[in-house]
Amino acid sequence: MKKYSLAIIVMMLISLMTYASNEAYEKAMLKELQNMKTATSPEDLKKVANGFARIAQMAEEEWLPDYYAALALANAGFRSEGGANVKDPLFDQAKKHAEKAAKISPNNSEVVALQGFITMGELAVDPASRGQHLSSLAMQTFGKAVELNRQNPRAVMMLGQMEMGMAQFFGQGPEKACGLVDASLALFAKEAAEAKEGNLNPTWGKAMAEEMKKNTCK
Amino acid sequence: MTFGHISESMKAIFYFFLLLISPMIWAQTLLTGEVRDQKSETIPGVNVYLKGTYTGTSSEIDGSFKLEVEESGLHILVFQSMGFRALEIEVNLQGGKLEFFPILKESINEMTAVTISAGAMEASDEKRAVVLRPVDIVTVPSAMGDIIGAFQTLPGTANVGNDGRLFVRGGDATETAIFIDGLKVGNAFGTTASNVPTRTRFNPNLFKGSFFSTGGYSAEYGQALSSALALNTVDFPVRNQGDISFMSVGGGYTQTLTGEKNSLTASANYFDLSPYQAMIKQNFDWERAPFGWDAEVSGRQKWGKNGVIKAYAHTEASGMKIWQPIPGSDERGQLVGVQNQYTFAQTSFRQLGENDWSYYGGISYSNNVDKFDIGRMEMRNQNQLVHSKLAAIKGFSEKFSVKTGFESYLFNYEEALISEDLKRDFRDHHSILFSEADYYVNNRLVFRGGIRAGHSSLAGQSWLDPRISLAYKFDHDGQLSLAAGQFSQMPVEQLRVLEQSTQNTRADHLILNYFLVKNGRTVRAEAFYKDYKNLITYEVAQLFPMPLGFDNIQQNGEGYARGVDIFYRDQKSFKNTDFWVTYSFVDSRRKFAHFTEMVQPGFAPRHNGSIVVKHFISSLKSQLGVSLSANDGYTYENPNLPGQMNAKTKSFQDLSLGWSYLPKPNLIIHLACSNVLGRDNIFGYQYANEPNENGLYEGNPIRLQAPRFLFLGIFLTLSKDKTANNLNNL
Repeated sequence: MKKYSLAIIVMMLISLMTYASNEAYEKAMLKELQNMKTATSPEDLKKVANGFARIAQMAEEEWLPDYYAALALANAGFRSEGGANVKDPLFDQAKKHAEKAAKISPNNSEVVALQGFITMGELAVDPASRGQHLSSLAMQTFGKAVELNRQNPRAVMMLGQMEMGMAQFFGQGPEKACGLVDASLALFAKEAAEAKEGNLNPTWGKAMAEEMKKNTCK
Repeated sequence: MTFGHISESMKAIFYFFLLLISPMIWAQTLLTGEVRDQKSETIPGVNVYLKGTYTGTSSEIDGSFKLEVEESGLHILVFQSMGFRALEIEVNLQGGKLEFFPILKESINEMTAVTISAGAMEASDEKRAVVLRPVDIVTVPSAMGDIIGAFQTLPGTANVGNDGRLFVRGGDATETAIFIDGLKVGNAFGTTASNVPTRTRFNPNLFKGSFFSTGGYSAEYGQALSSALALNTVDFPVRNQGDISFMSVGGGYTQTLTGEKNSLTASANYFDLSPYQAMIKQNFDWERAPFGWDAEVSGRQKWGKNGVIKAYAHTEASGMKIWQPIPGSDERGQLVGVQNQYTFAQTSFRQLGENDWSYYGGISYSNNVDKFDIGRMEMRNQNQLVHSKLAAIKGFSEKFSVKTGFESYLFNYEEALISEDLKRDFRDHHSILFSEADYYVNNRLVFRGGIRAGHSSLAGQSWLDPRISLAYKFDHDGQLSLAAGQFSQMPVEQLRVLEQSTQNTRADHLILNYFLVKNGRTVRAEAFYKDYKNLITYEVAQLFPMPLGFDNIQQNGEGYARGVDIFYRDQKSFKNTDFWVTYSFVDSRRKFAHFTEMVQPGFAPRHNGSIVVKHFISSLKSQLGVSLSANDGYTYENPNLPGQMNAKTKSFQDLSLGWSYLPKPNLIIHLACSNVLGRDNIFGYQYANEPNENGLYEGNPIRLQAPRFLFLGIFLTLSKDKTANNLNNL
């Protein structure tokens, strides 16, 4: 009997500790997600990425910390002033986090879409010399992300963005691209309706879709 | 169960929780300080945290940080930042305030670290410090889709229009070795009649990148006195697609199939210049215009987590018949027939191992059979090569790595005069060991040292070629590299078969290079000195119209090539415009072949320049290209004048235009024309064997087959992804 009670106590302690670590993880994630919402400068975004990197080293089986670290660094890359020597290291670091997320969670549409987003960032650094190679790579990556999950609004939206660039380049109409943008907006609305309090999954990208809708698809 | 038991258990739990909570009750510790790098500059954005906890912060713009922690006892404080090695400090947290002023050491960053650029010109999408992208190569107007044609607009090369091969810094075409995925390609150029220019056999779309070295290259490459061209094939095609090409000179189809872990590409092409030559007047007197077909298959398979196997086979056959005029004669001349059969097959692998080991290697087979019908003479040459390589790289640290490999080359050459029933041949086997070490002192300074040891069974010779190089990167991102080394190469097969005891010819290189890529502009300047030893000399029974009857083959030749070349590329200054300008000065003299004194070789013009401009016009969906190449003329020997190599042609000039039109994402129409101005370029003269009645040797100028070459190609890509086109394969 004594043995049993000890076993029960140990089990209770373990579950208590697991609960505590889950709670700590969620708390830390929500805090950094909040920081990410208010971060605008590349410096702030780098700090946010540091925060997610710290969570990643604590929660090695979770893909979201690395995912957000990569996203914050990619956004820092997009928003940095300066040339390739400033931006490339940020995208390189973003790629490393994205690869880690992909290893933890293979064939995850969100991670694949983020990898495409990073490729778009690298392309934007020097479109003249990287355009040919990277635009087809980005296109292919977004295609794969959509294939993995047709309900992923970010994948659909960014595929639309690439289609739009392609259509402009070849002087074609934006119908196909706008179709994708509209589809993504519907998916964003669905996502927002379904989101629960304390959700940690990605929800970003709606503003980009709305921007495209406003500028090109009237 | 008694009451006492419970109370004891409760006590245990109480103490346990007390133990858990106690650090929180005790005190907070304040960690502050400032993070700097080795140059004492503050680093912002450093991740500062307690290992194994959620507790951490980032350093501010001024490198300072402030972290309040509730943990206590022994912990590890980590400082982590991009571009630096993470620093871990053991701390004892007991409340109060602790100050830290850590200095982070930079880590070697393969993207931004110095690279050895002496002699090297790299075309790649993966690395950032490259001279060209693969796509830039195919769109050079004067190249007409030939890889080598594009390299002829790069520094260090000479345009020898009647040959078509790659001539580097005063070296002849045989001094350049070509490798595909690290394995040697025998007879990389198509067989042709004399003074009819040739092309590379391989489609540029096969390759994702290339490494072209004009000297001072790695110990991994040998049997090339002047230059190594390493071509790397595409790893994994991105999608299933079919590519159709219709050209003014032929057509072809390529099908690509891709899977999760493998891919297969098969292609077949046919060309025939007859219809084209029927429409456009030619300088040459063709009996049968060049024609031929090729077929190739390439497969890739991923294996394990980090391994790739590639296999590639290419086979082709071609032929032509041409009347070559005899100097001093008004008749049609001599009928020369050429038939060629060629196969190249290889398989290679790459594998990342444990503990920073990686392995690569493979085996290649080249088989070239030429049949020549010259007048009543019928000749057959066969050249076979089997090259195998196995190499391993060990990274001892991020700063130090060593590459070591074994190679075996089997050469088999046979030539037969079928009409006379005569035959001669030779076999040779080379065993090679190479080893090369790279040491990064820091991101700015790198040293490389290598040796290449070899033995030839036929020559009974062993050799050891040491090579060293170093590079330093300045604050402004420019870098200076220095390379020096010894290079050995056996003489050409046609002479070795006559004199089988010939030994290696030798060249020593010394190269100083400056290289800067910044904001879409590239500057590259290089000075070089190359010393030749043991070059082949011989006597000939007849020199004109072509050398015949080789005798007294010796290795008394020597020579040098020295000079400077400059390359500037700009993709930034003009919108939608990419241009590059090249100038190469080569001062080369050598005693070789039948010459008994030092002469400037006919393939080494002194002043060489080219300009390539590409402009994209969005509204026309077109890229327009212009390339201009010129040199100061080719030396040749005029028997009517005293001395050796006593004359020089007028300057060579070529203006080529190209227009690529993309009406739809999956369709490219490419139109190019060489020598638009129709300049009468002359590459030398061919003289009669005997003087005429006036005592003069009559000579015919060596010209191009036609003043202009016009190329029209339509490339259509069929795939589910409508934006795919041929160029996406690059």
